[in-house]
Amino acid sequence: MKSDLAGRVASNPFLVLGITPAFSRREMEREGQKLLGMLELGMAEARSYPTVFGPRPRTPEMVREAMAELRDPGRRLAHELLFLEGTAGVDADRGEKTVGWSGAFSALGLSRWPSR
Amino acid sequence: MASRDIFMGIDLGTTNSTAAVFDGERVDFVRDQQGATVLPSVVRIDSRGTVTAGSRARRYLESDPENTRTEFKRLMGTREEMLFPASRQKKTPPELAAEVLKVIRRAAGVQIGFEPEQAVISVPALFELPQSAATSEAGRLAGFSKVELIQEPVASALAAGWTADEDEGFWLVYDLGGGTFDASLLETRDGLLRVVAHDGDNFLGGRDIDQALSGWLAERLAEEHGVRVSRSDPSDAAIFRRLKLAAEEAKIELSHASEAVLSLEGISSPKGEIDVDLVLNRATLDALALPVIEKSIEVCERLVLANGVEKGKLHRVVLVGGPTAMPVLRQRIRERLQIPVAEGLDPMTLVAHGAALFALTSRLPARPVAVSEEKRRSFWLQYPGMSSDPAPHVLGRLTAAPGDGTEPSAAEPFAIRLSRSDGGWKGGLLELDAEGAFVTSVELLPRKTSVFFLEAFAKDGSVVPVEPRSLTIVHGLTISDPPLSRTVGVALADDSTREFIRRGTPLPARKTLTLRTVETVAKGSEGSLLKIPIIQGEFPSAHLCRLVGTLEIAGREVTATLPPGSAVEVTLELDRGGRLSARAFVPALNRVFSEVAHLAVPEIAPDSLAAAIASARERLAGIRRDAFANRDRNLLERAGEVEAHLAEAARDLAAARGGEPDSTQRAQRNLLDAEAVLAELEEERSWPELWDEAQQEFAFSAEWVARLGTEIEERHLSEAGRALEKAHQGKNATELSRQLRLVKRLGTAAFYRHPDAWFWMFDAASSSVSRASEPAKAAKLVKEGEEARKRGDSAAVRGVVERLWALLPPDPEFRRLGYDSGIR
Repeated sequence: MKSDLAGRVASNPFLVLGITPAFSRREMEREGQKLLGMLELGMAEARSYPTVFGPRPRTPEMVREAMAELRDPGRRLAHELLFLEGTAGVDADRGEKTVGWSGAFSALGLSRWPSR
Repeated sequence: MASRDIFMGIDLGTTNSTAAVFDGERVDFVRDQQGATVLPSVVRIDSRGTVTAGSRARRYLESDPENTRTEFKRLMGTREEMLFPASRQKKTPPELAAEVLKVIRRAAGVQIGFEPEQAVISVPALFELPQSAATSEAGRLAGFSKVELIQEPVASALAAGWTADEDEGFWLVYDLGGGTFDASLLETRDGLLRVVAHDGDNFLGGRDIDQALSGWLAERLAEEHGVRVSRSDPSDAAIFRRLKLAAEEAKIELSHASEAVLSLEGISSPKGEIDVDLVLNRATLDALALPVIEKSIEVCERLVLANGVEKGKLHRVVLVGGPTAMPVLRQRIRERLQIPVAEGLDPMTLVAHGAALFALTSRLPARPVAVSEEKRRSFWLQYPGMSSDPAPHVLGRLTAAPGDGTEPSAAEPFAIRLSRSDGGWKGGLLELDAEGAFVTSVELLPRKTSVFFLEAFAKDGSVVPVEPRSLTIVHGLTISDPPLSRTVGVALADDSTREFIRRGTPLPARKTLTLRTVETVAKGSEGSLLKIPIIQGEFPSAHLCRLVGTLEIAGREVTATLPPGSAVEVTLELDRGGRLSARAFVPALNRVFSEVAHLAVPEIAPDSLAAAIASARERLAGIRRDAFANRDRNLLERAGEVEAHLAEAARDLAAARGGEPDSTQRAQRNLLDAEAVLAELEEERSWPELWDEAQQEFAFSAEWVARLGTEIEERHLSEAGRALEKAHQGKNATELSRQLRLVKRLGTAAFYRHPDAWFWMFDAASSSVSRASEPAKAAKLVKEGEEARKRGDSAAVRGVVERLWALLPPDPEFRRLGYDSGIR
């Protein structure tokens, strides 16, 4: 359960875009467009983003999906809650404790366990 | 003063096409030699092979229909070729579309002083992947060096939004073209235009009204003049073409008048050739058009409902397409959708207008930037062509890193400065970072076009010449990434699907997944072919989704024999206009098979279609019998839905036999829709068995999850149990099947955590070894597995089981349903 939560926290659109829920929609668009431009130009600074589980790779597809998620007010609210929950309560150790047989994730139809 | 770029947008329509050019402030429509902005999408090839397109070709639609073709947009993406008997030439739909585009390109050249080399072409939002690919191909054949696609509703919305500053909230674009219908729900907020969702029908359009009208005219001919004509008789195709043309003209006339007279000369009748005058009034036209209008409004209602927007909350509706000029259509939209119709927008040119604006936002100038002969360092820039943000970001990077990583030399750019051409704004001096890049923002002139100069300086302050010297940004709407209208994935050999890019995903998008081959692809073998069918749709069974193309890897192309279970990394990529590219990387060969997608909507022979319709009718009869026996009114109503699709398919099939080229496609589409509902009904019919299976699976999963599941699996299983019960109470077979799949996954995951799980799976796999595609290899694996079991090596046994599974062929019937997929 915690691993799954860790994965969701680490891929939270706010984290992917490097912003917080305090950012307005307009500011979110600005940051997203900036990141897309930086990724297109291959700038190293944009290629990963920090999470409590360590840095994660960032791709243009992830940025676009994150922007689409935050444009929808209902979905944004859910991500805001998870962002706050994630940054307040999840730490790196809790994310790794319950990892079982790695093939189970593919049996569940998922591509991989969330990893550090 | 820097010269302004010009941007071109083209609405390549079924019946008519339009084009617009935009210089950053003003939009002009491209006019043909006669001064018209609406160019008929018609091509004629005469006996000398001379090709004419547009209004000059349209004149021959009636007098020389065999050599004058229109509505080829409906056939885009199919392998259909159109014959021009006088010149004995055959042309594909993209080739014909290219002729229309060439006329537009030449006309634009006269207007703007050069023939545009880059443009944006619009496509319906629900265009399938092969249709989009064919449109790009048409652009290339017309001489454009680069073409981008835009979804038509996005283009309309962009044009409508551009001219209405104050609009905020949800609105609808209703686009009824000659052959397609698109409905799009949009939202404008904080200067951002967002496409919330699409719906529509690729085979519903003004042409259906024309056909209903020509059918009515045929009835009048029979009743009043004894002339009997049938759509299914190829010898009547010519008269039906004339009736359709007359219907089109009458429809336009009745937008302004209450009555129109249709004069048809030289009609063959039992009494010889006769001249016929038929009177059509608006009430008759309205009655004939209503089924099409009502069907389109139902699509809009479905779209609005699916996205949780209340009808009254819709701000306005923008109408696009020639048929929307009909007063009855506007009236029904107002009545049923309770939305005001946006006035002052030209439904015929709105799409081209928006496409031209989009060319600017995509920074696709009609004339590519000329490369200076002077030696200059070059910056690769990223910025929005159009933005609602008054201070958008501009990013840049030197195309080669400055120097060799040591101190920049005197001739190397060390810093840059951006300044607005009107002198009203000047940025500070900005040093390039270690990567030779910069990130800054600029100030735009409100609601205007701003041109910025880019200057670069060396470390000693001297000016370094750089390219580009300027950039243009318009203060307007920011357009968000358009969402994918239908899920794209691949069919697997067991008739299941592997989703790649889900419906609603913002475009562009790309995904790579690793799949496994199910059988040997023999090196050099002509008959050996690995098929990876690409499908669109949301159904769990591949055969219910639409096949849009196939990636093929032939034996003659491989340098080494690929055994079953070989990995194939498949990448599907979609651009902003929904254009697909696909490639497969085979690690064992270390080779990429690129451009191997044969994107074409498959064509089924009329006889096979007739057989499929008959078979669907038989299945439907069984469902009806049960529904009557059980007095199940709901089932009967759903059966009626299937019957409606089948009746339409049968009508289209008759028209196809009568020579209407795109009717086979329509029949196929209706048959697929009927099949999807039939599959649901059959699941409901086998409800007791399905519920039994659900209970057994739940018991299995509950046991394993209780023993070896994680906390989250327990929670998910408990939620799934409640959902199963709810589906049972509501007798919702689709939802029950969906939850059942989740329950199975949860149970399986827990099961595999048992230390002996792989030993048990090995026993099961060993017992099926007689079916293996390579018996000797399978026998060797069984031996290897037995030894591993003796050692208690679960990991090794697992490896053996996975390799054994790869050798077991899929069920041939499932494989046939899964479009002969060669992967799992």
